[in-house]
Amino acid sequence: MPMKFPGTCVVCKKKIEINEIGLWAKGLGVKHVTCAEVVELRCLVCGRPAGCSKCEFRDDCDLSKVSQLCICIKCRDLADPFTSYQKAVSKKFPLLNLKI
Amino acid sequence: MINMMWSEKYRPKNLLDLIGNEEAKVSIVEWFGKWVKGTKPVLLVGPPGTGKTTLATLCAKQFGYDLIELNASDIRNKQRIQEMLAPILGYSNLLGKAMIFVDEVDGIHGRSDYGGVEALVDILKEPTVPIVLAANSDKADKMKNIKKVTKTIFLKPIPPRLLRLYLESILKKEGASLSAGTLLRLMVTSKGDIRSMINSAQALVTGFEPQTEKSFQSSDVEEGVNAFFKAKSIDEARAILYSLRIDPREKIQAFYSSVITSDLTKDDMQRMLQVISEADLIYGKIMKTQEWRLLRYLDSVLLGLYKEGIAARYSQFNLPWPVLNRLRWDGKAIRGLISTLAKRMHVSTSSFATFYFPYLLFCIKNKTLDLGLDETQNEILQKEMSALK
Repeated sequence: MPMKFPGTCVVCKKKIEINEIGLWAKGLGVKHVTCAEVVELRCLVCGRPAGCSKCEFRDDCDLSKVSQLCICIKCRDLADPFTSYQKAVSKKFPLLNLKI
Repeated sequence: MINMMWSEKYRPKNLLDLIGNEEAKVSIVEWFGKWVKGTKPVLLVGPPGTGKTTLATLCAKQFGYDLIELNASDIRNKQRIQEMLAPILGYSNLLGKAMIFVDEVDGIHGRSDYGGVEALVDILKEPTVPIVLAANSDKADKMKNIKKVTKTIFLKPIPPRLLRLYLESILKKEGASLSAGTLLRLMVTSKGDIRSMINSAQALVTGFEPQTEKSFQSSDVEEGVNAFFKAKSIDEARAILYSLRIDPREKIQAFYSSVITSDLTKDDMQRMLQVISEADLIYGKIMKTQEWRLLRYLDSVLLGLYKEGIAARYSQFNLPWPVLNRLRWDGKAIRGLISTLAKRMHVSTSSFATFYFPYLLFCIKNKTLDLGLDETQNEILQKEMSALK
């Protein structure tokens, strides 16, 4: 909703000005629309969300700070997941497929 | 190959082997591909173990450059940096395709900078060869000037699950395995540092310790040194040595005090003291030149102390107790006596103590010299004489 009063985003702690779009909930405070989106890494192999909410490392992985491409559980359980990962990198980032 | 560190054995051979930070890798490859004389140098910023050095090395190989690697200790001094880089920058065609890689540029600050950063910034403004810099952080004040004249590429820590994928591929090649709980802890403690994760995994797999919480906190010197001497193989000893994460000075000191107070044969003692002396030389060089990269060789040198079944055990005192006791209580009195006698002989106290004192004691013992000393000083002399053989 457009803000009637200025506020501070509970996620990023930055100001939200009057008329700026923000999400407000009683007792919780206000946050930017972008801050409200669930941050999730993407699986480099299949391109789908990596399933961070169910990841075994969810408490120890700072999603905003780590490299943004990971691997989902499904792709990790493939027969040779590391080769699949390398093939996917080679396909999606052909520049990295350098012959050394 | 058996004794090789996994982090070296599995060092990426191409960019596909280097996990994570795909966008950053693409950026640097593009930069290399488009590089012409005058192109802004590139600054790789990322925490340790994210692959900055490996990335620069692999790109240099791929694009056919001769890598000239410098680190913070080489760029402290303006004169030194000019001496090192001027020939490369001025005669780049004669020297083939040179590329400069300066590691740890953020490691130079405060009093350790003698105009080096300023000189480096001048060079970065007009590059005649590709220049890649690497830093763990770009927050230091000195980095502001460097950032202005470079293109910054950030490398982020690797997500733990991707680290796990990579480690599992290594374990598979090694025919080894770790329990799920151990893997989980390894990922968490490595905090996105690939090298640290691989080294810790190797230490665990070689089996010097059970896979418990303790494996990650093995900083107990006594336990570590004793486990090292009791190790059943050189691999186990290496793993223990590596896991002993204490100050290098303390590490050398711990082994020194343990060796000289242990009941060893003359040959073993000689060999082990030789090893410790080499380790001490390396540490001395590190302190003198601040080339901390040499630290990686310290453990390999100290590994020379290992001999299966040797009777050496940890001791925190580097001298037997009676000697230590004498030094503690008589030291001050002896220094006072030497100071008095040195004045009479018109020599320095150190010369007197080193060259004159032992002969003087013999003379007095043989009653050929009267020094006219007071009672206390005479007592000390008597004590020293009784110690003479």
